[in-house]
Amino acid sequence: MRQETIRRLFSLLLLSILIVAFGATSKLFLTLPNIFTLLREASVTGILAVGVTFVIITAGIDLSTGAIVAFVAMVCANIFYYTTLPVWVALAAGLLIGAGAGYLNGLLVTRLHLPDFIATLSTQGIFRGLALIIAIRSSTGSISNKVITNQGFLLLGDRVSVVYLVTIAFFVVALLGQGILKMTPLGTHTYAIGSSRKSADLSGINSDRVKKVAFTISGICSAVGALFLTARMQTAIPELGTGLEFDVIAAVVIGGCAFSGGRGDVFGSVVGALFMAILTNGIYKYNLPAAFHIIIKGCVIIIMVIFDSVYHRRMDDRIRKAGKMLDQAAAAAEAAGGGAGGIS
Amino acid sequence: MQKQQEGELTMRKSVHWGIITVMIVALALAAAGQVSAQAKKNPYKDPVKIAYLPDNIGDTVGAAWGVGIKREFAYFPNITYQVFDGKLSAETQNQIMTELINQKYDCIILQAHDAAALAASAREAEKQGIPVIDLNLDAQTPHTCLVAMVDYEAGSLVAQEIAKGVGDNGNVVIIEAPPGASRGINVEAGFRDTLKAHPGVKILAAQDGEWLTEKGNTVMRDFLTKYPKINAVFAINDAMAEGASQAAAAAGRKMIIWGADGEKKALQYIEQGKLTGTIYTNCYDEGATAARMALYAIGAEINGSKFTKTPIIKMAPIVVTKDTVASIAEKDRW
Repeated sequence: MRQETIRRLFSLLLLSILIVAFGATSKLFLTLPNIFTLLREASVTGILAVGVTFVIITAGIDLSTGAIVAFVAMVCANIFYYTTLPVWVALAAGLLIGAGAGYLNGLLVTRLHLPDFIATLSTQGIFRGLALIIAIRSSTGSISNKVITNQGFLLLGDRVSVVYLVTIAFFVVALLGQGILKMTPLGTHTYAIGSSRKSADLSGINSDRVKKVAFTISGICSAVGALFLTARMQTAIPELGTGLEFDVIAAVVIGGCAFSGGRGDVFGSVVGALFMAILTNGIYKYNLPAAFHIIIKGCVIIIMVIFDSVYHRRMDDRIRKAGKMLDQAAAAAEAAGGGAGGIS
Repeated sequence: MQKQQEGELTMRKSVHWGIITVMIVALALAAAGQVSAQAKKNPYKDPVKIAYLPDNIGDTVGAAWGVGIKREFAYFPNITYQVFDGKLSAETQNQIMTELINQKYDCIILQAHDAAALAASAREAEKQGIPVIDLNLDAQTPHTCLVAMVDYEAGSLVAQEIAKGVGDNGNVVIIEAPPGASRGINVEAGFRDTLKAHPGVKILAAQDGEWLTEKGNTVMRDFLTKYPKINAVFAINDAMAEGASQAAAAAGRKMIIWGADGEKKALQYIEQGKLTGTIYTNCYDEGATAARMALYAIGAEINGSKFTKTPIIKMAPIVVTKDTVASIAEKDRW
């Protein structure tokens, strides 16, 4: 069985254990309203995680996703408050801004050669500041967040029968993301530069272009998440999405992506997002003191990262040993074949 | 052979899709069967679940409310009272509100992080028959009740005291509440509006102190660096006022410093001469009032979703200075 498949099965096993544990100990956990609520909670994180997966597979990181959410949300709020433009204009503006923000991250990393961590930490501050600047204010100058009343836009926070639209969007975005990663040259190149940037460059892959595209995808996913989150909350606030980037990165890491790059996929990130949502939802069922939530989440993330590190080291050792044995067998075969007939 | 394999594959695919279709239909039917209805309850006898969701569980004001609520509910063993932490995040509060609605709590006592951001959740809770009692920071939607410290009036009282203190001529800076906090907006509005009647008192600057002592300290240090002459500071809550006081003391600059809440540490600072004054509210009483309103709302089956305006209960303020601080009894200091 492939290494990736085993890792994926492990994630699914953990998810199942969590579901069974919470389901067995809380009668409210496996109720339909809770399941669909849980899926909704996982969806925004999951949509952002799809985009961040691309960046992390390239051995990068994106810390600006939460701030992009705030900026895109605030742009939409401004459009609805100050204009009567149709909904599609707000949606298009949000997506363009998300794409532009992501592209800017890509430019900083590829053209100015800033480390991903520094570049996106800086743009996090820039986008958060821009959200504050364009925040709607009262006549005295203080920020006065307004409730969005555009019914067309608010539909994004609604459901189709029992399933929230954001959950449907999550799975559509995830399918698209997985399709791009696994079935397109862009996906192949993404893995290639994450595995070895040097080898990818020598193979003729335009690594800078792939990086820029990865960050742009992350920006677009952040924008999509922002639109749904804003519709759900029916407002935009400058501090929206604060800390969200860490939940997103945690979901991606739990799902199997390595910070060293070249590993993981969208499916894993989906599982990671579901895992985080189920963990939070389950903890609430026990009505534990608030401090326990953070401690438990932190411990789970540490355990998953340790497991990944140990598992991949073991797998790499196995592959190295198998490679050595093959080399030895080939050398022995060559020696036997060369001794018998010579070279003609 | 190939045809047989193709046939098997088609059958397997059909079975898979068949299972998925049945699951979706079953889920939809099960969901359709889920009806939530809260039966009439006697909150003083029947088991009831009440949640308290402050903006930040570590905040002194929120903690004092929690004590007041707990003291009130202690008389009724049928009440299950649970405290959650909003972690200063509107998204977290919304998530918890959804959880509380799903768990069919009988009432939610909420301190909204942001008026607009919690409107949808509060509305949904009221629609589900769960009364929402807000404390200080209100959600921007009609609901069962708001129990609040005086806000506009508090700002106005402080403005009058500061104007008197600087002799109607001086420079003031404001350490503001986070944007969107309705209490902060109202307190500041009362302060600014009242100062309009004292044109000799100029507001030099206003910055967000995030309700926190450390941030209030940082903001005050910035003000002290930027403005050589500051006669007075107004911090929208006592925690920020304490931070401002520490910054001013460290810089060796004397000035009038006012807060607004009346927490224990602020009263001690006033006794020690580190703070000039504050507007005191008995937060234990405020929490207890919210608790009583919660029980009343459950028993009376109040439907806040039908209200066009939220009923407001305002707690009586006391202007506390060095001359009046002794009148606040130890048991009322929170």
